[in-house]
Amino acid sequence: MTKEIIRLTNLTKLYDKDTRPINNVTVSMIKGAWTSIMGPSGSGKTTLLNLIGCLDSPTKGTIHINGTEITKLNRDQLTRFRRENIGLIFQQYHLVPYLTALENVLMAQYYHSIVDESEAIDALKRVGLGHRLKHVPAHLSGGEQQRVCIARALINEPEILLADEPTGNLDQKNGEVVLKLIKKLREEGHTIILVTHNPDIGRLGDRLIELIDGKISSDTAINIKM
Amino acid sequence: MFLRILRKSLSKRKSRIAIAVISVIMGAAIATALLSVSLDVSEKVGYEFRKYGANLIVVPKSDTIEVGFPGVDFGSVTEQRYINESDLWKIKTIFWRNNVLGFAPILYQVVSVGENQYEQNVVLAGTYFNKDVEIIEPYSLDDPSIFNTGIQKISPWWKVNGNWIEDQNDTTSSMVGIKVAEKLNLEIGNIFTIKYYENYEGLINETIYNLTVKGIIETDGNEDNQIFVNLQVAQDLTSRMDKVHLIQVSALCNACPVDTFAEEIEGKIPYAEARTVKQLVNAEMNILGKIEDMMFLVTIVALLASALGVMTTMTTSVIERQKEIGLMKSVGAEDKKIAFLFLSEASIIGAIGGLVGYIVGTVLAQFIGLSVFDTSITPRVEIIPIALGISVGIALLASSLPVRRATKVEPAIVLRGE
Repeated sequence: MTKEIIRLTNLTKLYDKDTRPINNVTVSMIKGAWTSIMGPSGSGKTTLLNLIGCLDSPTKGTIHINGTEITKLNRDQLTRFRRENIGLIFQQYHLVPYLTALENVLMAQYYHSIVDESEAIDALKRVGLGHRLKHVPAHLSGGEQQRVCIARALINEPEILLADEPTGNLDQKNGEVVLKLIKKLREEGHTIILVTHNPDIGRLGDRLIELIDGKISSDTAINIKM
Repeated sequence: MFLRILRKSLSKRKSRIAIAVISVIMGAAIATALLSVSLDVSEKVGYEFRKYGANLIVVPKSDTIEVGFPGVDFGSVTEQRYINESDLWKIKTIFWRNNVLGFAPILYQVVSVGENQYEQNVVLAGTYFNKDVEIIEPYSLDDPSIFNTGIQKISPWWKVNGNWIEDQNDTTSSMVGIKVAEKLNLEIGNIFTIKYYENYEGLINETIYNLTVKGIIETDGNEDNQIFVNLQVAQDLTSRMDKVHLIQVSALCNACPVDTFAEEIEGKIPYAEARTVKQLVNAEMNILGKIEDMMFLVTIVALLASALGVMTTMTTSVIERQKEIGLMKSVGAEDKKIAFLFLSEASIIGAIGGLVGYIVGTVLAQFIGLSVFDTSITPRVEIIPIALGISVGIALLASSLPVRRATKVEPAIVLRGE
C-alpha cells in the first residue's frame, strides 16, 4: 500500500516575468521511495528541491507534505516544519568550519530540540565516522565531510531526506560510499529525493523525474514499491 | 551547545572581534574618563574659583558700611551693627558645612598712621589669619570640633611679600597693603605706630599701638589700601570685644545652590544677612555648565565612533558568515535564534570593551586631572555599571542593523550549489 507523502499542485516559481524555474508542476511522491530528479543546468531541479525543503516559497500552486499545506506557513513555521520533517544534504556539505564533526551534528540537534551527545556520536558512527568526531572540516576529506553532512541531516530523524548533488564534489570511491549510505537510508524507510546530473545515480532510485525548462518532461517508475 | 558555538565563533574571528572591542574600549574609556572628571570637575573647578576669594559675605541685617570688597558696594553707614565673633562657629554647623572651605571675619576701623603733618588715615582691618575656631555644637558627632580658617585660607591668591601672620595670638604684627606701604615708606620688619581716637562725651581718648610689618600685600583691590592685623588687635584698639563687621565665606557650591547656602547661614545667625557675590557665582556656574556640555558632546561623539566601529565589524561578520547563517536556518534555527547569537556576540564585545574601557578611562581621567586641574581624580567604582551598560547598549544598538540583515538571509540563495 503506497502512501503519498509529498504533493505538488500547479506549482510555479517566478523569479521575474521571463524566468520561470518551475512552471506549473503537479506531482506526488510516495513515502519511503527514492525519487531522483534530473535535468540540464537551469532546468529547475534545485529550485524544486528548495521548494519541497521549505527553503523557498512558490509563486503559485500548493505543496502538501505529510498532509500539511506548507505554502500556508509563515517563515518561522516553515523553519520549524523543516527541522521536524526534512533533512538536507548539500553538494558542498556546508559544514561550520570552526566546529568539529561532532559539533556540526550537535548544532542541528541544538536547533531542533535538546542536545544529546551520545545520539550525535551514534549518527556519526552510522556514517562510519566514529573515529573522526573531534576533527574540524578542514581536516576531513570531501567524502568524510559529506558523511558528516548526512549525519547532521539524520540526527533529528526526519522522514524526508533531500539531497542536492550529494556526490557532485566527490571522487568515485567516496561517491560510492555516500550512495551506499543513501541506499541504506532508503531501505530504513526514509523518503529520499535526490537531485543529480548523473544518469547512473538517477537510476539507482525508485523513480526518475526529468525536468526541462521548469516542467516535467518525463516521469519513469524504475522500481516503485507497491 | 549555544555557548560552544558562541565561544568558537568568537575565537575563530579574534582579529575582527578585537577591532570591535577596541572601538568599544575607546568609547567606554572616553565616557568613563569624562564622567569621572565631570563628577570631580565641579569640585575641582570650585576649588580653583575659591582661590579667587570668598563668594559669600555675611553682614548684620540693615547694616551698610563704606568699606569695600571686590565687586560689592556696601554703600554708606547708617547705623553701626555688628556680628558677634562668638557666633562665627555656627557657619560650620549648617547642612552644607562640608562645603564651607573657610571664612574670615573682618572688623574695620579708620586709624591714623604717621606723625603730625604726615599723619594719614588708613583703614585697619582686624581678621583671622590662621585661626582654630572651636565648633561648640557640631552638626554631627562625626564632625571635627576645631576648624582652622582665616583670610589666608579664603584668599590664597594674595601676593604677599614677606610672611603671613601665622600666630593667631600675635598682637604686634601686621600685613600692610602695598599702597599703604608706599605712602608710609614701610618695609618688612619696620615698626610703625597706629593711633585710634575715640570721642567719648566730648573727650578725645587716644589709643596707640606699635605694629611690625610682617608682610606686604598686593591684591590690586581695596586690600592694597588697608592694614591687616589679628582681629583681637582691632577689637582691643576700638574696645569692641566680640564684634566683627562682616564675615567673608568661601563656599564650594557645585552640588548646592549658593542661595540655599546663604539662607542656611541666615538661619543659624538670624540677625545676619548672607549675600552672594553674584558675578563670581554666575561665572562659576556658567563655566561649569560649559565644561559639562563640552564633555557630554565629546562623549557622544566618542560613543558614536564606537558604534560605527561595532556596526562595521558586525556587518562584515554577517556578510562573511552568510553561508553559516543560511545553514543554521536550514537545520532549523529561527530568526530569533540567529539574532540571539549575533546579539550575544555583540554583548560580549560590549562587556569586554566596557570593562577594559573603564580601566583605561580611569587612567585617562587621572591624566586629565593631573594635567588640567593639578590633582588626581578619584576612581569611581559606581561608574563600572554605567560604563558596562553604555558599552553593551552601544554594541547592541550598533548591531541591530547587521542582525536584521542576518535574519533576512535566505538559505536557498546562500547555500546554492554552484
